[in-house]
Amino acid sequence: MSRIAGLRPRVGGLRPRAPGFVALGLGALALVTFPYWSRDWESSRYATTVLRDILVFAILALSLDLLMGYVGLPSLGHAAFFGAGAYAAAIASQRLETEALFVTLPAGVLVATLLALGIGLFAVRASGIFFLMLTLAFAQMVFSFAFQATDITGGSNGFAGVRRPELFGISFSAAEELYVLVAVSFLATAFVLWRITRSPYGRTLVAIRENERRMRALGYDTRAIKLSAFALAGALAGLAGALSAYSLRFVSANDAGIGTSITAFVMVLIGGAGTLAGPAVGAAVVILIERVLNSYIPFSQTVLGVVFVVFVLAARQGVVGAARTAWARARG
Amino acid sequence: MSPELAFLQALNGISFGALLFILAAGLSLIFGMMDVVNLAHGAFYMLGAYIALSVVRTTGSFWVALVAVPLALGALGLVVEPLLLRRLRGRHLDQVLITVGVALVITDLIRLKPDWGAEVRTLPPPDALAGSIAILGNDYPVYRLFVIAFGVTLALSLAALHRRSRAGALIRAGVDDAQMLSALGVDTDRLFAVTYAIGAALAGLAGVVAAPVLGLQPGMDVEALVLSLIVVVVGGLGTLGGAQVGAALVGPADTFGKVFVPQFALFFIFAIMALVLLLRPSGLLGRIRVIR
Amino acid sequence: MIDVRDLHRSFGGVTALDGVTLAVAEGERRAIIGPNGAGKTTLFNILTGELAPTGGTVRLAGEDVTGRRTFELARRGLARMYQRNELFDPLTARENVALALTAKAGPYRFGGIPADEARAADELLERVGLAGAGATPARALSHGQRRQLELAVALATAPRVLLLDEPTAGMSPAETARIAELIASLARSLTLLVVEHDMDVVFRLADRITVLHEGKVIADGTPAQVRGDTLVNEVYLGKVIAE
Repeated sequence: MSRIAGLRPRVGGLRPRAPGFVALGLGALALVTFPYWSRDWESSRYATTVLRDILVFAILALSLDLLMGYVGLPSLGHAAFFGAGAYAAAIASQRLETEALFVTLPAGVLVATLLALGIGLFAVRASGIFFLMLTLAFAQMVFSFAFQATDITGGSNGFAGVRRPELFGISFSAAEELYVLVAVSFLATAFVLWRITRSPYGRTLVAIRENERRMRALGYDTRAIKLSAFALAGALAGLAGALSAYSLRFVSANDAGIGTSITAFVMVLIGGAGTLAGPAVGAAVVILIERVLNSYIPFSQTVLGVVFVVFVLAARQGVVGAARTAWARARG
Repeated sequence: MSPELAFLQALNGISFGALLFILAAGLSLIFGMMDVVNLAHGAFYMLGAYIALSVVRTTGSFWVALVAVPLALGALGLVVEPLLLRRLRGRHLDQVLITVGVALVITDLIRLKPDWGAEVRTLPPPDALAGSIAILGNDYPVYRLFVIAFGVTLALSLAALHRRSRAGALIRAGVDDAQMLSALGVDTDRLFAVTYAIGAALAGLAGVVAAPVLGLQPGMDVEALVLSLIVVVVGGLGTLGGAQVGAALVGPADTFGKVFVPQFALFFIFAIMALVLLLRPSGLLGRIRVIR
Repeated sequence: MIDVRDLHRSFGGVTALDGVTLAVAEGERRAIIGPNGAGKTTLFNILTGELAPTGGTVRLAGEDVTGRRTFELARRGLARMYQRNELFDPLTARENVALALTAKAGPYRFGGIPADEARAADELLERVGLAGAGATPARALSHGQRRQLELAVALATAPRVLLLDEPTAGMSPAETARIAELIASLARSLTLLVVEHDMDVVFRLADRITVLHEGKVIADGTPAQVRGDTLVNEVYLGKVIAE
């Protein structure tokens, strides 16, 4: 019922903004087909690889932004679900001796979701700084498990030789096809989150951020709602993790470690929390610093740290947030 | 496990708990006073251990390091607080985030210094404490007994300072309500800078004391940070007593966890943390505190 | 409708409620008065489940709801207009009301925002005198308007029992008259509990009045009975009128 009713304003609202949607559609198409139209000047596939990794981390950052920017839950342990998704996809492929995408990808997402439900049960009872500490500590538990359980995860050596997936005879083992898989996943994630932020559910999340006490008094089970958002964010982080495992053909305990959590956090903050474009922009900035800068100077982490400090001090709304404010001011 | 072995493991546990107390006391102090979880605490601890390594290499004396490192870290704290945290007063979450940036820079610089990071280093205990003595027919390292004595002495003297001195009174009042202190004419800028410096110095001190036992390696910062977070979550944030109780519980629990379930020792203390959180969300000795 | 038996609550060593017993019939309008620190807000916090009592029981429409969580009580038809505004500041007035209107439909809806929702929200806004303010963010409203919005949000959950915590606090005489008028015009089937310091408003609205003093009920009766009670006059009303 409500779904049908819900369709009306969206369809109605589409017409005046149609040019924007067409541009967005063309942009998406260009993004997905990048390895094919760039073949002439990008034969080494370096740019394709970097762009692929940016998109993987953009999915992770988007999922974290659902918590940070919308529900107002700053998690410093989001890598736990990224790592869980990566390991689960890799291990499922190894143990079940399959490359089927419809087996390994759901395995990654499912394990990450269950883990998020388990951790979330404790974590969402807290808020603010306390939430931050709890997520950090719980993620470190996942990391130490991955690091120590050598029989399952490969321990400190990592899990090497992850097989790239195939779906109904289409193999994603070549750089181009794998890129398409990642790009489509990114667009799907962005679309899902875009829908959510415009749905009653998304509005509920923002309202909880603004005044949780009031929401409870209105009859909302805020703890359950926060848990659902935490699990959803965990599921999407698991998706990013599985894609990372396919991409790098390797999973390391560090994928679940605090370094990865901080990276994701920095991406959201630099790009702009509470926006959809922000985390993607942040992912691009951070990956470019890490990859491109790192091949010139050894202290890229220091640069990242300083950039992060500057953004916290001077540009808390991030690149996209600041651009939005500037745009609004320019228009009067 | 034989009773003798159990006793020695208990000593190990208490010794580890003493270390955890030194570590967690600084974190707890900063939080109690400034409402900031100093996520650079692990990096301060790590930096303390590496500075100790350099001091011992040049002077040959562990005792010089034991004094110099807290001073150095305290000085660092006196720079970081006014330079970064003060600009964000009242924005606690942002203050926490900025300490993440500080940690990133410190650990990267440690990694880059050729005679420091990137690989495992060891720091031998001072000669006077290098041997072992016989306890219940087993050799037991003297240094670990020193750690226990050091930790307990520090706990007692901090408690005495906390209760008796003017600084202690300020801290107790500040933990209750820092704004009120400011209204009473206390220079809170100075108070917070000093608080942060003491917290950093304690982290550095823990780094020196721990180095002969735990060694120096990449990742030690995160391990120390997470352990001290667990300690203060279990004991209760922001109070000295909380750090004491948390350390006294987590130290032995971790040690015995490693004996009985070597693969999943961390799970064991996380289970304790989860249990405490379920039963007493503000920690065993925590006061109810609204964190926004 | 509300049946409170021997309610106790202490904070550390301080007793806030010391055996309060109180029964409010369906459709009744009950005022709860008393000096500051008498336990009125503690009582409200326990009724809404934001605070657990240290002893005693609370029944809502015959069901024992002692210790239930806030959202469960809200789903059973309990709404509260807070003393200090508890609004969603960056959201528009319409969205504030809509969140209350759709609470029963549940949060797990991922389609678009239904079109009829805005209409229903605007009707409620009009009813509390905020016609045309639908698109204004809550933080941009004046204090009086925010109180009106607060009332609209409370009403939007279609409650059976409405707790009003100092509805006229901080209002000008004109605004006070207006909100009192609004409250008086609510459906007679709605059970009202009002904590209020403005005695004109209290005596105008209430069917019965309960007087709290130091955590105890010292009087309970019709406005006329309470006005004539010497003890009440001694500890509370006398002072209020003298002021």
